[in-house]
Amino acid sequence: MAEVVLSHVGKVYTDGTRAVADLNLEIVDGEFLVLVGPSGCGKTTALRMVAGLEDISEGSVAIGGRVVNKMPSRDRDVAMVFQSYALYPHLSVRDNIGFGLKLRKLPKDEINSRVADAAEVLGLAEHLDRKPRNLSGGQRQRVAMGRAIVREPQAFLMDEPLSNLDAKLRVQMRAEIGRIQRDLGVTTIYVTHDQTEAMTLGDRVAVMRKGVLQQIAPPQVLYDRPVNLFVAGFIGSPAMNLVHATLERGDGGDFTVAVGDQRLQVSEKVLSERPDLERYVGKAVIVGVRPEDMEDATVAGDAEGRTLTAPTNLVEPMGSDVMAHLTLAARAAVTEDIKELAEDDGGRVLDESATTTTIIARFSPRTELQVDDEAKVYVDTDRLHYFDPDDGTAIWGDDNPATTTTPNTSQGTTEGEST
Amino acid sequence: MAVATQPREPAGVDENGSAGKPARGTRPVSGGASGDSAVNVFSHTVLIGWSILVMIPFLWALVASTKTSREIFGDPWALPASPQWSNFSSAWDKGVGDYLLNSLIVVSGGVLLTMLLGSMTAYVLARYEFRGNRFIYYLFAAGMMFPVFLAIVPLFFVVQNLGMLSTYHGLILVYVAYSLPFTVFFMHSFFRTLPTSVAEAAIMDGASHTGVFFRVMLPMAKPGLLSIAIFNVLGQWNQFVLPAFLSPEKPVLAQGIATLLASQRYEGDWGALFAALTVAMVPVVVVYLVFYRQVQAGLTGGTLK
Repeated sequence: MAEVVLSHVGKVYTDGTRAVADLNLEIVDGEFLVLVGPSGCGKTTALRMVAGLEDISEGSVAIGGRVVNKMPSRDRDVAMVFQSYALYPHLSVRDNIGFGLKLRKLPKDEINSRVADAAEVLGLAEHLDRKPRNLSGGQRQRVAMGRAIVREPQAFLMDEPLSNLDAKLRVQMRAEIGRIQRDLGVTTIYVTHDQTEAMTLGDRVAVMRKGVLQQIAPPQVLYDRPVNLFVAGFIGSPAMNLVHATLERGDGGDFTVAVGDQRLQVSEKVLSERPDLERYVGKAVIVGVRPEDMEDATVAGDAEGRTLTAPTNLVEPMGSDVMAHLTLAARAAVTEDIKELAEDDGGRVLDESATTTTIIARFSPRTELQVDDEAKVYVDTDRLHYFDPDDGTAIWGDDNPATTTTPNTSQGTTEGEST
Repeated sequence: MAVATQPREPAGVDENGSAGKPARGTRPVSGGASGDSAVNVFSHTVLIGWSILVMIPFLWALVASTKTSREIFGDPWALPASPQWSNFSSAWDKGVGDYLLNSLIVVSGGVLLTMLLGSMTAYVLARYEFRGNRFIYYLFAAGMMFPVFLAIVPLFFVVQNLGMLSTYHGLILVYVAYSLPFTVFFMHSFFRTLPTSVAEAAIMDGASHTGVFFRVMLPMAKPGLLSIAIFNVLGQWNQFVLPAFLSPEKPVLAQGIATLLASQRYEGDWGALFAALTVAMVPVVVVYLVFYRQVQAGLTGGTLK
């Protein structure tokens, strides 16, 4: 078990494409770090550089205090779980798990007992003599895990290990991976494009985009204080609603956000939290609101200056809550970040010229809202997010930990980062 | 399904609706099926014709090996009055035993070495990038197009100068050189199809390059290895020209049979000739019968994702 430190790591392929730029990560001993981002963001490349499967073009990687740039994989003492499991098809489960130990010439008894222990932990005990082709997807995944566990390495590297499983199994294995990692306390770097996995598993989550680290923070911080539009839009499902708005200061000194023709009042508390907002008064901003920060006003009660009205175009009852798709009369925020997120989302069409935006609100199941109703939406204005429309950075103040370094080029430092 | 019995039910959902109105929907499918069966009949006819063409000479030689010379010429298609097993012993007396041994030694040595060197070369060419990789690969590919007859005279002198004429190792080395190009070509494409992640997993598990090859990639390439091994066994077993020039003192089966055939003018023991032919054919058939299932299973099973 060891800490893994990436300093100024970059990767440029021989054809000149840059996959990773100036990546700085400090993963402490026993930490579970998740690298997340849309496909092609460099997360897998970063992981493979730590594994030694990819040359490091710039910077250095240190595992347990040793710089490993020139060290072959097998001497780095890290174990990897692959997306495709990469089991040895000609070997039994027992030999698959014990393969690494056998290569290290451990005594047979030792190998057998360690394989048996790992199989016990993973519930593979009765499948030890089967070949991988006779196993289900979940079992294969376990064998891949077993192969990593049994080596008792300095660090686990996991490259989207759950993405080949069906939804139900994925949830189950996700919990299992979390449990195993906690029990063993092995430093883990986990790559995924699934933000749910990232949020549920990670002690800290690092969001990457086009080879550049956007923000690294514990999941809740990432969710509550995204440093820019990209992180805001990427983390959370359904995604944060983002619309163009203007900040205004009324005659009485009260602070309002104009969304289309409608106005939301913002408390002084928000201003003291985000002193930089002062500089945006009278200017355009992008306002973000999470679906759960909205509620049907007929359920939540009317609150002066904190409601929006919008026609309903779809109501999706989920049992625990109701997803309402509303057509808000305000211009949708379309920036490079958002376009990229939309692309990752299966090519969702964005219309920059549209004067309305479809927003998704998570309402209580007690709502009686119907399609085509004019919804009155209570908005928790204390929890609105504000972004600069030009560079997409979150508007805070200098004292905010999430913005101490320039977003978009480097990481936003957080509490966890300094350890 | 209930809906199928009420085809006029208007409220059928799409999937049910298609189940309820099968007649029109299935016609083109059944038409396609009958088209398929036409193709089937055709291809099976061709295949049956082909197998007859292959089987009849084989069986005929087999039957002839148990007949007397008089029976062979008197009634070529008839079964022997009483099986003449002595044909085999007289063939054996004429040196077939030695020829068989020579063939077995040379072919097993040649195939083993071909497989080892060929798969190693193909693996490196398929999975490592280095300067000259393509050049070496094309050199092997060109080797496939080079007719060995053109080289037979210089080859003879090379082998003679090395003092390897009529030796097992001399013939084995020449066989290996002769078989390598196609083996490399075939295994190259096979190694390319194997998933990289498995090799990477082995590297992460601590395997060296050699370890990855021998412990992981070679076993995974088993179906390809078996196919090309059978191909090489056949090719080397059937060699006549190369041993005729390079191993006149230690003849292999093909030479031995040619000698037997030539001597028929004086001896007239055709039964023994066919017995020798049978001895030459049977090992090949056995090799094929033993391995074809594994080859098929390997090729259809595919790699594990």
